[in-house]
Amino acid sequence: MKVIEIKDLHKIYNSTEVKVHAVNGVTLDFDEAEFATIVGPSGSGKTTLLNLLGGLDMPTSGQILIDGTDLSTLKPSALIDFRMRNIGFVFQAYNLLPVLTAEENVEFIMSLQKMSTAEREERTMELLKAVGLADRADSRPSKLSGGQQQRVAVARALASRPKFVLADEPTANLDSKSASILLEIMEKLNKEEKITFIFSTHDPRVVKMAHRVITLEDGKVVSDEER
Amino acid sequence: MITAISWKNVWRNKTRSLIVITAVTIGVFAGVFSMAAINSSVIQRIDSAVNEELSHIQVNNKDFRSSADVQNIITDYPDVVSVLESTQGVTDVTGRIIIRGIASTAAKSTGVEISGIDVNQERKMFKLYERIIPGTGNYFEENTKFNSVLIGEKLAKELNIIRYIITDESLEYLEDERVSSAVISKLETLKGQRFTSDKKFVKAYEKLLDPSEAEKYWWQIKEAAWSYREGSKLILTFLDMDNNQTGAAFRVCGIFRTNNDMFEEFAVFVPEDELRLLAGMEEGAYHRAIARLENDDLTQSVTREVKNKLADYEVMSWKEIQPDLAMITDFIGQIYAVFMVIILAALAFGIVNTMLMAVLERTRELGMLMAIGMNRRKIFFMIMLESIFLSIVGGFSGMAVSEIVIAITGKTGINLVKYSEGMEAIGYSAHLYPTIDIQFFITTTILIVLTGVLSSIYPARKALKLNPIEAIRTE
Repeated sequence: MKVIEIKDLHKIYNSTEVKVHAVNGVTLDFDEAEFATIVGPSGSGKTTLLNLLGGLDMPTSGQILIDGTDLSTLKPSALIDFRMRNIGFVFQAYNLLPVLTAEENVEFIMSLQKMSTAEREERTMELLKAVGLADRADSRPSKLSGGQQQRVAVARALASRPKFVLADEPTANLDSKSASILLEIMEKLNKEEKITFIFSTHDPRVVKMAHRVITLEDGKVVSDEER
Repeated sequence: MITAISWKNVWRNKTRSLIVITAVTIGVFAGVFSMAAINSSVIQRIDSAVNEELSHIQVNNKDFRSSADVQNIITDYPDVVSVLESTQGVTDVTGRIIIRGIASTAAKSTGVEISGIDVNQERKMFKLYERIIPGTGNYFEENTKFNSVLIGEKLAKELNIIRYIITDESLEYLEDERVSSAVISKLETLKGQRFTSDKKFVKAYEKLLDPSEAEKYWWQIKEAAWSYREGSKLILTFLDMDNNQTGAAFRVCGIFRTNNDMFEEFAVFVPEDELRLLAGMEEGAYHRAIARLENDDLTQSVTREVKNKLADYEVMSWKEIQPDLAMITDFIGQIYAVFMVIILAALAFGIVNTMLMAVLERTRELGMLMAIGMNRRKIFFMIMLESIFLSIVGGFSGMAVSEIVIAITGKTGINLVKYSEGMEAIGYSAHLYPTIDIQFFITTTILIVLTGVLSSIYPARKALKLNPIEAIRTE
C-alpha cells in the first residue's frame, strides 16, 4: 500500500537575483514500513524535498498524496492538524522542549491530540522502553546526552503512530556509538511499528542500513536503489 | 499541558523573570501605595470638613453669605427645622448664631467668626469635642464658668494665649522622641523662660542650635515646649442687632486642634444663650440651620430636595460651600485612572520586552512546535499564558506588599509633619493613614490580568509570523 505518492513535484524559489529549481520533477512512491534514505550533495534538494513531504512548504507544481490525501487541497489549519496526526519529525538538533522531562516530551504530541491520560501514559512508557530510556523518563533534556535526547526525539516522533517519520540528518550531532545505537533502535521500531522512515543524510552508516537509497542531484532523482 | 509548559517557560530564565517580577512588584506597590496615601488625605479632609467644620447641609437667609449682617437671620426657623427633620436621610438638625467680630488679647486682635451653638446638639453632630488638646480644658463641660469660649490652636497662638516654655517634662519628652542629647543639653539653657509667640521661641532656640539640628528637630522642640495657661481670657467684640458695638470678656474653656489652620484661626464657639444675650437677639433666632445626613452619598439628592422645599432660603451642601474639596473628590476617580494607566503601562512594557526576548530566544523551538503540529492558536495561547503568568506573579506580589504596608501604616499612620507643615495650612492632615477600598483591589487585579493578555499580543504575533522551516534552522 502506498503511504506516499509524489507526482512530478517541482519547487522553484524565486529570489530577486536568481531562480532556484530546488526540486525538479521528482516522482516517487513510498510503501508502508519502508526504511529509505535520500542522499546527494549539498544543494541537491534533499532538505527541500523533505520539507515538501512534511507539509512545511508548498510545491510550485506537482502533487504529494499522503495515504490518498493531496496535501495541496488542505487549508493551513487542516494541514497543521494533518501533520500532527500523520507525520513524525526527527530533527538534526533534537529540538526537545527543555522545560519538559523525557516522558513529558513524548507525551506532549498526544496531549495536543487530546488522547486520554491512560492511553498517553501507556504509549509513552512503551516507546521509552523501546528506545531504552524508561529509567530516564523523569530526566530533563539538559540531563541527557545527545544520543539519549535524539532517542527521546524518535520516541516523540512515533508517539502519535504517524504514517511516516521524516528524519533530517538525525545522526549529524552524534558520536559514532550513539549514532549506531540510534540507528538500531530506529530500524527495530520501523519493523515493529511498521512505520515508514525517510532519512535525509550524508552519514554512510545510515545509507548502509537503509533498504532503499534515493540519490538526488540538482533537484532530480538520479537513482533509486532497493536493497 | 500547555498551561504547564507556559508556567515552566516563565521560570526558564529565573534571573530575568525575577528581575521583571521584582520591577513589576515595586511599580505596582509604588502606584497602589501612593493612591492609598492620596485617598487617605482626601478622606481625612472630607471627614474634617463634614464632621468638624460644615456638616452636610447648611440653610441660611439668602442675603446672609453676601453681607454677613447680624440682622440676616432665618425668618422662620421652626419651619426650616421642621422641613429638614421631615426629609428622609436627615438624622440631626441644629441652629447656629453666626456673628463676625474681633477677638483680642492684650497682645493682639484678629477677625473671627463667632458661632453661638447648642452645645448638646452640636456634640451629636460634630466631632470637635474630640479635638480638644489635652490639658487645655474641655468642650463646655457643665462646670465651665460663664462666658466660655472654645478657640482653635492657630488662633490661640495668634493671640499669644499659647506660650512656649522648656520644662523638665519638655526635656523628658525630647528624650522619648530620640532627640540627640547634644540638642537637649543646649535647650536646657532655655529652661523656665516663657516665649509668648511662635516667632520669639523659634528665634531663641535657633540661636543655640546648628541649622541642621534646628531643621531636624523643630517639630519635636515645639511640641515639647508648647504650653497653655488654663482659663486665659480674650475679648470678643462685634455689632449687635441694633448695629451697636458690643462685646464681652470670655474665658477660654478649651483649645481645639484640627488639620485645618484656617478653621482654627477663624472659628470661635460660644454657647448660643450667651451670644444671643450679647447680640440682643430674640429667643429662637438663628442665622443658620445645619443638617447631618445618614451618609455622605445622600448629600446631592437630599440637598436638591431641601432646596425645592426651602426655595426662599439659601440651601447649600458642603460640596457647594467648599467646591474645591468637591472637585477633588470628583476628580479622585480620574486620579485613580491616571495612576492605573501609569502602573499598567509600566507593567505592559516590562512584559512585552521580556516576552519578545523569550520569543526570539526560542525561535527554533517555536519552529519545531509548528512543524510537529502545534497549531497557531495553541502557540498564541501558550505565549499569552506566559505573559499572564508574569503579570499575575508580579502584579499580585505588588498588591500583596501594598496590602501589608497599607494595613500597617493605616494603623500606625505616616507622620509627615516634619516635611509638610504647609499641608495643615490648606486643611490637609500631615498625618496620613493610607487606605484603599476592596473595589480598587478587585479592579486592579482584573486590569493586571488584562494587561498580561494585551501585552502578549505583539510577542505572540511575532511568533506566529515565524516560518517553521527557517525557524528550525536558527542557531
